[in-house]
Amino acid sequence: MKGKKWLTALGITSVLMGSVLAGCGGGNEKAANQDASGNSGKKVEVTLAGWGGNPSEQKLLQQTLDEFEKKHPNIKVKLEVISEQYMDVIKTRLIGGEGPDVFYLDAFEAPALIETGALEPLDKYVTDDFDINDFEKPLLDAFKGKDGHIYGFPKDYSTLALFYNKKMFKEAGIDVPKTWDELREVAKKLTKGTKVYGFGVAPELARLYYIAESKGGKVVTDDKASFADPKVVEALQPIIDMHLKDKSAAQPSEVGANWGGEMFGQGKAAMVIEGNWAIPFLQDTFPNLEFGTAEVPMINGKKTTMAYTVAYVMNKDSKKKKAAWELISYLTGKEGMKTWTSKGYALPTRKSVAAELGYDKDPLRAPLVAGASYATVWQKGKNLPIIVNNFNNQFVSAFLGERPLDKALKEAEKTANKEIESK
Amino acid sequence: MKRTFSKKMWRETGAGYLLMSPTLFVLLLFIVGPIVFAIFLAFHKVQMLGTTTFEFVGLDNFQRIVHDTRAKIAFWNTLKYVVIVVPCQTILALVLAATLNAGLKGQKFFRIVYFLPTLTSSAVLTLIFMWMYNQNGLINHVLKVLGLPTYNWIGDPDVALNAIMIMNIWSTAPYFMVIYLAALQDIPDSLYEAAELDGANVLQKFWYVTVPYLRPVTSFVVIMGLIGTFQLFDQSYIFSAGSGGPNNSTLTVVLLIYQYAFKTLGTMGYAAALAVVLAIIILIATLLQRKFSKEESLY
Repeated sequence: MKGKKWLTALGITSVLMGSVLAGCGGGNEKAANQDASGNSGKKVEVTLAGWGGNPSEQKLLQQTLDEFEKKHPNIKVKLEVISEQYMDVIKTRLIGGEGPDVFYLDAFEAPALIETGALEPLDKYVTDDFDINDFEKPLLDAFKGKDGHIYGFPKDYSTLALFYNKKMFKEAGIDVPKTWDELREVAKKLTKGTKVYGFGVAPELARLYYIAESKGGKVVTDDKASFADPKVVEALQPIIDMHLKDKSAAQPSEVGANWGGEMFGQGKAAMVIEGNWAIPFLQDTFPNLEFGTAEVPMINGKKTTMAYTVAYVMNKDSKKKKAAWELISYLTGKEGMKTWTSKGYALPTRKSVAAELGYDKDPLRAPLVAGASYATVWQKGKNLPIIVNNFNNQFVSAFLGERPLDKALKEAEKTANKEIESK
Repeated sequence: MKRTFSKKMWRETGAGYLLMSPTLFVLLLFIVGPIVFAIFLAFHKVQMLGTTTFEFVGLDNFQRIVHDTRAKIAFWNTLKYVVIVVPCQTILALVLAATLNAGLKGQKFFRIVYFLPTLTSSAVLTLIFMWMYNQNGLINHVLKVLGLPTYNWIGDPDVALNAIMIMNIWSTAPYFMVIYLAALQDIPDSLYEAAELDGANVLQKFWYVTVPYLRPVTSFVVIMGLIGTFQLFDQSYIFSAGSGGPNNSTLTVVLLIYQYAFKTLGTMGYAAALAVVLAIIILIATLLQRKFSKEESLY
């Protein structure tokens, strides 16, 4: 009888022990990591996380990483591809203390993440060799914190350009539009009922931002939404009119496509405004399609476009910061960037690399490269994600003709600002 | 005497807990712990990323729900969804079960066919439906052939939620049909014979014998349906690529919780408050349902 007493103790302690063990797991692992970086004789493994690209892009990245490993024999790079919900995964992993050492960060998400203090400031690592002034300034500034430190170096970028279907233009006997007014006229001529639309448009702020601000209005003021400004409404109204009055513009879902590139490739739109990413997609998926690119039509006599950029950033909690910097400085350095952008899937953010690869002379990419000098970088403070979500939701209802645009935007602005204030 | 008794009690309790400890451990870690933590979060302003801070804010998070336009839309959408889907799927399940229990030729085959959608993962199902709902997809094609109007099922805010409703009724009704089928086997034949002697026709037999006899099962089906529909997430998430659009038409409460918890930084506490409110609403709905059905013997 007495011998059974241990059961009591064991029963309760096993529950307790279990939780203690679970708690310890993380700590032990961290200690082990520290050992690895402290001992420089051993190989250090740096994790690099990013979203996936198409297979040829992945191959190119692997090639760049292989070259890096050859030059740094004591560093091993572990590439982790996060294919869905990239930012959610990264944020969750950073919170859990399991974040990668180096990862991709879109300029759009950068201000909010920099403010949380989860990123390592990189300026202290920079040497003269790295040549920081070689970067396109607006793209580099996108990753500067309010404190003036640089938190990431842009790996590549793309601007928007006008993609047009050469065959359809030839048949209609018209020229590529140079201004937005011309585009509207041309779109009317190219439209054939609901089979072919002159212009495929994505009714979302990421693609309309430069148009919205083209008449002097501001979409965001002091980290708050201000897109109900009559000047913004006036600038966006033509897009709505093209869809509802001229019936010469449509969004991809109306013709059963997932995005502008697909809509254009299937021949359901004669013109779309897309970025560099559409070029390899169109060439691979629709090899028979004859298309050209041109700079985005001027509005009010001014050239405008958007620029989207992504940087490599370092996790502040990384235990291998030295090796992580080696990786970042190689990937965004002249050599690594040249390999990575050599096939033209992405455009180089360093002026010297761009000049060396000669994309400004490539017929399809020249309009995209030209845009870099006057483009608006897709980024506007830490509250932009909230503003975008509300804008997109309500803009669609105006685009579909359920409500006048000014009313829809007024309501969206109110909702967005309420959400920002109560944060 | 008293001492020995308590000793024995202790010993037995200890043995019991030892045997249960793996289950208890899992329960505490993955169910009870998170629930307690969620309630804790609901009363705090939480910043998880970078420097983790928990600031006690009392009921602020709950007050915020009242002023949040998107929360109102989300609750309204969810309510609409529940009110339409629960009765539809329950009635459809009952009718399907009664038909497939009537002794038709090949009814086993149809039982299997009808049950198949339930076996498919809801994510896959949603993706397949999005193909069919496509502007040039199967459903619009059929509507066109029949001379009916076609819709932009995914892009039109007036239709998007209905599209999800149709899909969900179609895919969950068979699950409840199986439960009804099982219950139907329990109805004694003597009741039907008695009804026949009284001159009842098929419909009368269904209405006066089958339906009342299935009441406890109906109660179960409605409660499970309520819980399931209030928690609508994956379908609207996939439909709108996580945004709840177009024009907030597919924004549900759980989707909103997800957005606040993982999309916007620093709103984890507010998301937890929304989750607590949703849990209370489901609890109230379930209790109301039980009160109205006056069935306390089961579940």
